[in-house]
Amino acid sequence: MKLPVNLSVNGQAYEEEAEPRTLLVHFLRERLGLTGTHVGCVVGECGACSVMVDGALVKSCLMLAVQAHGCEVTTVEGLAQRGKLHPIQEAFVHNFAMQCGFCTPGFLMASHALLERTPNPTEEQIRQDLSSNLCMCTGYVQIVEAVKEAASRLGEWRKTHT
Amino acid sequence: MAQNTYIGASTRSKEAPRHVTGRGRYADDMVLPRMLHACILRSPYGHARIGAVNAGEATQLSGVVGVIIPDDVKRRSRPFKPGRYAAGLRVPIPEYASAVDKVRYVGEPVAMVAAETRAKAEDALELIEIDYEPLSAVTDTHAAADPSAALIYEELGSNVAWQGQVSYGDVEQAFAGADRVVRENLKIHRYSSTPLEPFAIIAEHTPERLNIWCNSQAPEVVYEAVTEALGIDNVRVIVPDIGGGFGQKIHLIRKYAVLTALMAVKTGRPVKWIEDRSEHMMAGGHSCDQEFDVEMAVKSDGEVLGVIIRDTDDVGGSISTLTIHFTNKLNNLFNTYKVQHLRLEGRSVLTNKCPVVPNRGIGKPGMCFIWERMMDRIAQELGLDQIEVRRKNLIGADQFPYTTPNGNIHGSGDYQELLNRAIKNIDYDEVRKRQAQSRDTNRLIGISVVIGVEPGGRNAARDMAIFPESKQMPGAGGVEGATVKLEKNGSVAFTLGSPSCGQGHETTAAQIIADVLGVAPERISITGTFDSALSPWGVSSSNSGNNFHLYDVGAVHGAATRLREKVLTLAAHLLQTDKASLTIENGIVGRVPRSGSAEDDSITFAQLGKIAYGNQALLPDGFEPGLEQTYYHSHPHANPLMIPDAHGRVRAQYTFSSAAHAAVVEVDTETGRVRVLRYVIVSDNGTLINPSVVDGQIYGSAAHGISVALGEGFVYGADGQLLTLTLLDYGKSTTLETPHVEIEHYPIPDPFTTLGQKAAGEGAAIPSPAAIAGAVEDALTPFGVKVRHLPLSPERVWRLIHESKT
Repeated sequence: MKLPVNLSVNGQAYEEEAEPRTLLVHFLRERLGLTGTHVGCVVGECGACSVMVDGALVKSCLMLAVQAHGCEVTTVEGLAQRGKLHPIQEAFVHNFAMQCGFCTPGFLMASHALLERTPNPTEEQIRQDLSSNLCMCTGYVQIVEAVKEAASRLGEWRKTHT
Repeated sequence: MAQNTYIGASTRSKEAPRHVTGRGRYADDMVLPRMLHACILRSPYGHARIGAVNAGEATQLSGVVGVIIPDDVKRRSRPFKPGRYAAGLRVPIPEYASAVDKVRYVGEPVAMVAAETRAKAEDALELIEIDYEPLSAVTDTHAAADPSAALIYEELGSNVAWQGQVSYGDVEQAFAGADRVVRENLKIHRYSSTPLEPFAIIAEHTPERLNIWCNSQAPEVVYEAVTEALGIDNVRVIVPDIGGGFGQKIHLIRKYAVLTALMAVKTGRPVKWIEDRSEHMMAGGHSCDQEFDVEMAVKSDGEVLGVIIRDTDDVGGSISTLTIHFTNKLNNLFNTYKVQHLRLEGRSVLTNKCPVVPNRGIGKPGMCFIWERMMDRIAQELGLDQIEVRRKNLIGADQFPYTTPNGNIHGSGDYQELLNRAIKNIDYDEVRKRQAQSRDTNRLIGISVVIGVEPGGRNAARDMAIFPESKQMPGAGGVEGATVKLEKNGSVAFTLGSPSCGQGHETTAAQIIADVLGVAPERISITGTFDSALSPWGVSSSNSGNNFHLYDVGAVHGAATRLREKVLTLAAHLLQTDKASLTIENGIVGRVPRSGSAEDDSITFAQLGKIAYGNQALLPDGFEPGLEQTYYHSHPHANPLMIPDAHGRVRAQYTFSSAAHAAVVEVDTETGRVRVLRYVIVSDNGTLINPSVVDGQIYGSAAHGISVALGEGFVYGADGQLLTLTLLDYGKSTTLETPHVEIEHYPIPDPFTTLGQKAAGEGAAIPSPAAIAGAVEDALTPFGVKVRHLPLSPERVWRLIHESKT
């Protein structure tokens, strides 16, 4: 049995269907080909599959695809605009805030959610918020630095993009 | 060659733009036409005999295309040949890709199903019936070594699968002359590096060849395993982006490559197998539990005269990596110290736990833990200062290049100065004052300063030191290739011989090429990731052994240097001048001093490319067309001691970075929780090619070693069940527990390497467990607590405090 999954992902409308047991992360990766969202644990511990659903940060391994019916989803592929890196992405590149890159899309989405809510976070707030995600490579230092830099880049970016 | 513009600078990452846009290409991202999805049925028992297997119902399930059970594996594949870490086996034991007669650890693969979807394959796994005859599980090395213990391999007649030793100097003499012998029992627990991307394999059997896409750090292991097991010579191993390795993806992944390939051969369709997290936790490989009984013969002033270490390694339920942790202790057997007499006795004990594999430093964190814990213990027993005892024993700055008694050559270093700087940076005296103030509270402060080396660049003959009777040399020294090509449009492409797991190899290699060739890194790109059919690879072409800095850097530099010569030869011919009068800057070859107009005096890479590939009339006589050079690098200073001498001395690795670590912790005496307040590293990694890349390696490996010390690790029940199947249960540190590590670079170039570089990878994971252990013990001085065993989880620390009160 399959159920309809009509949703918007990164601004594009899709009319699809999925088995009720299909996880949102597998739907995004395998049905829509959006492989930037990664599977690290499938039980909500690592955050590599983090996406935004209707403005909220969601671990897409903890949500069924059918639950996203009628929702607006943003994945890492939706951050860059017209081929230009989003300020958070640019800050991650500039600070070497990744090594293997597997956790990176999740950290970008978590940072995005944090900076939407708290435009100028302290290091403590950044560390508190990003504790939802695991990185095995970096020891987090350059990620935290990147989020600090992203906050200031976003300040400038918002002035020119609003 | 022009002076360095890019080497030494944190040039923009080559890999990062694809990763931040979700365009990394990992094995699980790939889809082939008609591809099947495979899942693995695993042992629910720690130890059991496999009886009848009934897969009839699973085979009949709609959507299921192939099932492999132990009989298929036995009939259709050959066992692995014993590798270098099984050379010490008393009797040959065939080990297949899956369990065939017995299961020896929870999670050992037993059967595989391939279906049209992964969900269907998982459904089918539940329909396979296996009659297991459960046997007693053995989970403790002391119990396992007892003659009455259940035997994990009956053929061996004992669970002690290997015993051996290495000995240097005259240990008995050293002990006879000692003022005192300091003894201690130390233990390091089981952990992993838990790469975020688990194992991933795609196999496709075409009429021409067997193609394997996988996230192997050491493609040679997969290449040889598949060839041997299936008897297929024409194998192509392709390694796309790897989501972290750390040693986990070297050994056990070959089992799954063989099973997936067998399924592809059997079904005639491409097959994808992706491991899940709990599978990786139980069967992806662990570091081994290590127990050390240590004796150090000392003089009353703290000088160490001799050392005896009895090492018991819990190697789990496989004979394929028996000596892997023991062997790796040869790399830093003497740490940074000048003692001349040492004996290391080892035994590898089989248990019903996951087989053991390298991860981040393998064996070396244990060896450093021994040395640094003992330095503290010696100071305590002799009433001396812990740092002064270290100073007394350090190799002096005037002794480099220094050859250790077991043959390692430390090219350069200044260990005293690393300690000086760490002490200054951590504000040692100030911390001692705060510590005194903390003594009246339930939050005690502790500090520790330790030192260690990071060996780099593996010598393939290393294992012969412990197997002198071995007839077959597993290889010697190292070989790695690289190709650099000037394309016909003037851009530059390069191919590395080894895969990367995120250590910035594309970025770093491009910097070297940029400086050698005289062209901006923006014009340089990698051709792709590892492909055994296209990459110039050799025995050192693995993302392990800290090989990149020595072998890949040498190969890239060599290929670029040859290409530069060829570019200059062609340009000199076209500009009708001497090569010696030419310089290259920003992709333009020009004559110095200028003689006429810009056109007469210079030629661009694009012009040269166009001519080299398309205009024979303009090429010099005898000039091989094209501008592409491949260079295979071996370490030019691999001798002396590339091959073990009569005394068992061999260079285990070729370069030795070093670092002092200083940790300040706060221990909550009511809960046992340890917080790291500050963590300072002063690191000598030789010439830094990209400082930000090196920083990342130090931050990451320090964070791992600290997390290991503070509690991450595997826990087994007495029945052999793994209790830590998820990352949360396992206790991986997040942003909250991980300190902001502070780094000072104090680089002293290596006199023997291409650019003076030394290793920069797993280094900070080596001294950090010892640093945390020392700091916690220091904090708990009022309780008289001795820290002997890791991890220092809150429960363990709480128990230490409470046991001290009784």
